[in-house]
Amino acid sequence: MSATAPAARAGLRARAGVPFRAATRVRSVSLGTRMIVASSILAAIVAGVFAAFLVATLQLRHSTSRATHSKDVSLAALRLEGRVVELETALRGYVLTGEPRFLESIRASRKLLPASIAAVRRRASGTTAQERRARGLANEIRAYVDEYVAPLLKFAHTDPSVARSAVATLEGKRRTDDIRSRFQRFLSVDSERVANSVATANRTADAAIAFGAAGLAGMTLLVLVFGLFLARSIARPLRNAAEGANRLAAGDLSLRLAETGPGEVGELTASFNTMAASLEQGQAELKAQNQQLRESERVKGELVGIVSHEVRTPLASVLGFTSLLLQHDFDEESRRRYLGIIDSQARRLAELVEDFLDARRMEEGRIELRYESLNLSELLRSKVELFSGQSAAHEFAVDLPEEPLSVEADPRRLEQVLANLLSNAIKYSPEGGVVRVSAKAEGPSVSVYVSDDGIGISEKDRARVFTKFFRGDAASRGISGTGLGLVLSREIIEAHGGEMGFDSSPGMGSIFWFRLPARSAG
Amino acid sequence: MKHRPTVLICEDEISLRELVRVAVDSDYRIAETGDGLEATELVKELRPDVVVLDLMLPGRHGLDVLRDIRRDADLSHTRVVAITAGNYAKEAVLAQGADRFLRKPFDPGELKTVVQELLAA
Repeated sequence: MSATAPAARAGLRARAGVPFRAATRVRSVSLGTRMIVASSILAAIVAGVFAAFLVATLQLRHSTSRATHSKDVSLAALRLEGRVVELETALRGYVLTGEPRFLESIRASRKLLPASIAAVRRRASGTTAQERRARGLANEIRAYVDEYVAPLLKFAHTDPSVARSAVATLEGKRRTDDIRSRFQRFLSVDSERVANSVATANRTADAAIAFGAAGLAGMTLLVLVFGLFLARSIARPLRNAAEGANRLAAGDLSLRLAETGPGEVGELTASFNTMAASLEQGQAELKAQNQQLRESERVKGELVGIVSHEVRTPLASVLGFTSLLLQHDFDEESRRRYLGIIDSQARRLAELVEDFLDARRMEEGRIELRYESLNLSELLRSKVELFSGQSAAHEFAVDLPEEPLSVEADPRRLEQVLANLLSNAIKYSPEGGVVRVSAKAEGPSVSVYVSDDGIGISEKDRARVFTKFFRGDAASRGISGTGLGLVLSREIIEAHGGEMGFDSSPGMGSIFWFRLPARSAG
Repeated sequence: MKHRPTVLICEDEISLRELVRVAVDSDYRIAETGDGLEATELVKELRPDVVVLDLMLPGRHGLDVLRDIRRDADLSHTRVVAITAGNYAKEAVLAQGADRFLRKPFDPGELKTVVQELLAA
């Protein structure tokens, strides 16, 4: 069964109040796929946020280390500057006073200077510009020591007045001022670099925080949306399915669910509907079977009634007269008469049994015909003669052609048909009247008509006249019979290759006819 | 002068009509019919002492004939023996006014006794 067929059928059967959409359901993406996609998006957002924070953290760490390094550089530079200042101060002191303690201080400063220079240069390595500046600074200091401090000391030993001259003192101030401004530049560049690095780190951290917040909001939204989706697309259809199952269990088999919902949920509701449809169909079939069983039970009951009535009537004569004959001495004439009745009623019983067996044989298609060439007119006359003695209330009118009506037929079976039609004509006209029997050749067939002035057949019974055991309202009218005669007659005529039918108007009488193929003149 | 009882036999089967007639025997006045409508007319006309009534009668059903008899005040003395080959319940038929009920096939001796008893009562 295709997926659209039950849906279309369900659409026709959908009840008011039962939600129903989707005449044709488009197969949607599976629930598993949707969950995987949603989880992947969540994971990607989490990874992105984590990466942003990682970058920000690394940058902060980098800028911190840069700041630390810069502090080291500044410290070394300040220390160096301090030594230069100390040297200059001691130099001036010695030149002006000539006290030996200043000389001591000069020596100590000169001895420490190279190490301090090396410290600054080592710490400045890494950026070419600062390295260059550090180198310049070192050269300047060395030049100050070699070209000013050393010659001035020599003069101070040899000619202290020259050394104390203003020129010499001014030269020292110019040089140390130069060195100091270089230091200032060096330090300002480095602090600027630190400030830049901190600013970048702060910007990155801000961006990371913003991105993290956005990511968190996005995740919250996504989780919310997915939760809503789960509630709407899964929880609700599932609840509907559960309620539907309960209603189904309570007997409402016409119930169908809306075949919406993603992937597996849609499949579930579709399966539910298929199941409900199959249950409903099964129930309908069971009901039909039950109805059939009840009908067949009713027919069986009727059949038992018919059979018992039809058997008891002749049996009453057989047993009754037998009993009389056994208990009383009758004269010869009466005795013979009663035996005759017993004989004919026993034969009637035998015929009854034969009728039932015939009905069975016909059902199994086992009826055998012994064909003979015969004149239908002769058969009709002899049968009418036999029946005319049975009823004082009926008159028989026979209309047959002069020439013989030749047919190929089983005479015994044909007699059975004629006997049935004639006895029906008598039985179904209880007030008496004329029974007309006629026959004629009509083209390639021979037709026989038997009519009566009886009760006729009502409109509602016409279709069932040739139904086994059907007797209309004959029983309530006190008309006996099995309801087999006409069924057997038609079967016999049809087995001969002929056909049988009737016409009737209720209250006016009936006419039954049959046609047999005529025997060809050759 | 002794009253000669009248027995009406209503039975559509000719052979059974004869069986009933021979079975009840004796010197009753016997009338017969095989038709329900005629039975209704005959009971009014003859006012029989006993009616042997088949229930499945053409023309008019035996139970309807029975009802006709029971409705007629002139027929209060009439005793009815219902006989049938059908599946009628004995109690139901007796409840509708029959005095006795016999199912076919019946024993002719029993029928004779039943008629005698009803006439003697």
